[in-house]
Amino acid sequence: MNDPRMFNTEAYFRYYNPVLSNESYFKYWRVCAAMGPVFLAAFIVCWGVLGSNIPPIPADFTADQLAQHFRTNYNEVRAGMSGAMLFGCLYLPWTLAIYKVMQLINRNENDIVSTLQMWGGALTVVPLVTSSVFWLTGAYRPDELDPKTLQMLYDQGWLLIDMFYFITTIPMVCIGVAGLTDQREKPLFPRWACWYSIWAGLSFLFELLMPFFKSGLFARQGWLNFWVEFVVWFAYILIITFFTMKAIPRLAKEREDMLNRA
Amino acid sequence: MEHSTAPSIGASRNQRDLVSGILVFIIADLIVFGMLFTGFMVDRSKELAVFNQSANTLNYQLGLLNLLILVTSGLCVVFAVTAAREGRITALRNWILAAFLIGAGFGVSKAIEYGDKFAHDIGMHTNAFYMYYFALTGAHFLHFLGGMGALAFIWFYSLRHAAAPDFRGKIEAVGLYWHMVDLLWILIFPLLYVLGLQWQPCP
Repeated sequence: MNDPRMFNTEAYFRYYNPVLSNESYFKYWRVCAAMGPVFLAAFIVCWGVLGSNIPPIPADFTADQLAQHFRTNYNEVRAGMSGAMLFGCLYLPWTLAIYKVMQLINRNENDIVSTLQMWGGALTVVPLVTSSVFWLTGAYRPDELDPKTLQMLYDQGWLLIDMFYFITTIPMVCIGVAGLTDQREKPLFPRWACWYSIWAGLSFLFELLMPFFKSGLFARQGWLNFWVEFVVWFAYILIITFFTMKAIPRLAKEREDMLNRA
Repeated sequence: MEHSTAPSIGASRNQRDLVSGILVFIIADLIVFGMLFTGFMVDRSKELAVFNQSANTLNYQLGLLNLLILVTSGLCVVFAVTAAREGRITALRNWILAAFLIGAGFGVSKAIEYGDKFAHDIGMHTNAFYMYYFALTGAHFLHFLGGMGALAFIWFYSLRHAAAPDFRGKIEAVGLYWHMVDLLWILIFPLLYVLGLQWQPCP
């Protein structure tokens, strides 16, 4: 049973190895998966509402108008961005839960796609947290900085969070691709969720146009590049969390059955 | 364990998937493109003269040729899918190849059209019409490239994996996607090229 030649990935080595009880094996999986909606709710409140990012301040605002925002709302922005930088990191444990489930989708696949998902999701923390630091900087000494500097800080945050989309596209596509290799009668991630994940990841490509526009649908505040893109991403987080949570007890049952047979 | 012999959209082993597989991708795409079309019509109503004037600079003959290319390529894909369902792998590969080669004409036509625009210094920032023109045709072109890649994948994949259980599902999915690319052009062409076209009387 423990012959290494039986296992095509380390994940399956641990999965089949009876040293860990089922309880130990699946410990913390659900907590990590739950961090997805926690991240989402906290991010919407902190980054979005307190930080005045839902919707973003229009790109065609003047520097003076933007300076006015920082000089008036500095405490809300400080609180919001502090929260965003804290809760943004929850994208990491959430990604880990998905990674653990993905590793057990199909034993005849290697772990390239699940590992890509892990790294992509973990690195997504970077744009979320780093962009927040730019807005936080603007709110830190708003009266001493000139309007053009404040404008640049606000712009830089949005350029980072919007243009770093591909690091998130990668894990989104990976979840779909891996999910589609599921040979179970009832796949862990249903086909529609896989395809939605792939589509949602690729739909971020419209952000390629964001740096070229200060107004209209392709600008950072535009109905396409803000509302559609962000709602699509939020929906993806909820959908994938749902199926990851549902997958965990199913995998536990499969492992229990397998260990009992051994 | 139940096995289905019917063609499987999105390679789902579970035939009870109501909104299965590739249809989700297609529906989501159509929704977003629909929103873009709506945005176009709304913005057009604010600047009717600019939109009509700019529309007249487009080469509607090339647009129509693109339509014919994609519809013909789509027909080849229909024959390819039929061949796949009947197990005729050589015919499948020939029809896929035909679809690909005919479809490649769309790429050539697009290069000519865009080249002409750039030569006249027309870009996304020229006016709102051209912003939509490049956004819609550009996004469509990226979908077209994806579709061409998918056709090439089927052609190579069918060499060695014709007996794979999910093979027909893959072909059906690619076929549906290619028809979507076709459908999008059927909607884009009249919107950009025909609406606002002012016919000149014959001299």
